Amino acid sequence: MNIPRRALLLGALLLAAGCAQVSKVASGQVTVGGRMVVDADKDWNQFEQTLSDGTPTWTKEGIAVDELKFYVGLKDGALLAPTPSEPKGQPPLVFKSGMQAAEIVALFERRYSRGGSTFTLEKVVPVPFVGGGGYRFEFSSIRKVDDLRLRGVGWFAVRNGELWAITYTAPRLAFFPAGLAEAESVARSARIKS
Amino acid sequence: MPPRFARPDAASEEGGLWALMDREEARLRRSPLRMRDEALTRYLSDTACALAVEHCPDVRVYALRTPYFNANMAPNGMMQVWSGLLLRMENEAQMAAILAHEIGHFLQRHSLEKLRDVKARSAFATALSVFGVYGLVGQLLVLGSAFPFSRDQEREADAISLVLMRNVGFDTREAPKVWANLLAELAANPAASGDSLDNILFATHPSSEERRSTLQREAAGGSGLVGAEAWRQRLAPVRGMLLEDELKRGRLDESLALLDRLAAAEPDSADLLYFRGEARRQRAADGDLDLALKDLQAAARDPRAPAATWRAIGYLERQRQQPAAARAAWQRYLEIAPDAADAALVRQSMEELP
Repeated sequence: MNIPRRALLLGALLLAAGCAQVSKVASGQVTVGGRMVVDADKDWNQFEQTLSDGTPTWTKEGIAVDELKFYVGLKDGALLAPTPSEPKGQPPLVFKSGMQAAEIVALFERRYSRGGSTFTLEKVVPVPFVGGGGYRFEFSSIRKVDDLRLRGVGWFAVRNGELWAITYTAPRLAFFPAGLAEAESVARSARIKS
Repeated sequence: MPPRFARPDAASEEGGLWALMDREEARLRRSPLRMRDEALTRYLSDTACALAVEHCPDVRVYALRTPYFNANMAPNGMMQVWSGLLLRMENEAQMAAILAHEIGHFLQRHSLEKLRDVKARSAFATALSVFGVYGLVGQLLVLGSAFPFSRDQEREADAISLVLMRNVGFDTREAPKVWANLLAELAANPAASGDSLDNILFATHPSSEERRSTLQREAAGGSGLVGAEAWRQRLAPVRGMLLEDELKRGRLDESLALLDRLAAAEPDSADLLYFRGEARRQRAADGDLDLALKDLQAAARDPRAPAATWRAIGYLERQRQQPAAARAAWQRYLEIAPDAADAALVRQSMEELP
């Protein structure tokens, strides 16, 4: 994709976000994507319909600022956050059920490096997630389209060959520290709907 | 060569475009993506200055950390060169060819014509500004430099670039090689079509095959400074970071064509052997894993090899069901880089080995 098209897409995304139906996330137990259950406070907003990448997304300040994204039970061969128009020759981000943890981190690395943004992995450690063993990774990124320095954190686990993950990103100086505790709280509460 | 351009009247259309570009330049100057390596950025500015002769005071070069092949110039003299382009240059003469080409567009005021066109077409962008998407209109205009020039404009800039290169004493025969190398890279990616706006390599420069052959014809018989070793030394402080960014693009076929070309010129570079091995390990096509292991082991024999060489060997050996070799490689990785971001992950992988 050339750069003007990327800028136009971002603009379209922002416009779509501006026009899309946004609602408050009901506090308490919330089902996301039909199969993941989390405990939420009342401050998150969500989009009635998923955004163009098909990933359920919550935000406090708006998606151009902070994003809490839910990857709900991606099956073998599913795409991680597909974009509406991948550039020619750009391999899609395909999750494979046999992937090792490092390969899944690399998948998110490529997702956040899209379009020339930088991605620096700060830390990845094993942690419990969705009721069993999982991983937590931290990263920093400079978003190409607006030069914004972001920080991010993600949690993921593979259960029965499916990928379950949550990521939280926000500008590093004020928004990330302000929202991190709540994002952590949502991630800690995440479980698979029985 | 035309005389220096006076700053246009602020009330004119051109003056308005300059003001927008000035604002974008202020943003660029503060951008965290701006490369700060002083020696490299000074070299780019000095070379552009020498090529631009009396227009030197009007040309300002900004190197940006963005892993795609791109350079463009705004009508106010602000030139952007992206790191993916720097990584692909083989010598000082090729770098000069790019700078001279952009200066050629500047001297012919092509960017101004194009921006007028982009501005006329960007009613959409104006609409966006109503929604408070700050700076997006200005960005679009800057990024609009990535819209293609016409073939005639490209031919003109190419012809000027050869004259400017000769004036400074660069070998003009290096200019067509830039495009030949890019074509080879694209050809390595079966999914990418050649002359496509969808491929950023050609976003600004369509018809590259035609341009390569024309340049080759016009540059024939040239001589002068090539500067391959000097360029390698200039890029050395940042090359590892640029290669990491290159692999994160995920276009491993193209990256491997690039790495093969770079490694052919520097067969003993531990850095290049590591990155080529890592690219093959990640691609994992038929035969890749054996070749990856060969490169990684060759890199590991050099004490200057990146620590990640050992991590990659560990992952490969685990895949090859060689737990003892995987453990030994990961132990070495953790000895060299005990505080690595993924140290805990590697330790866990070691514990899980049979």
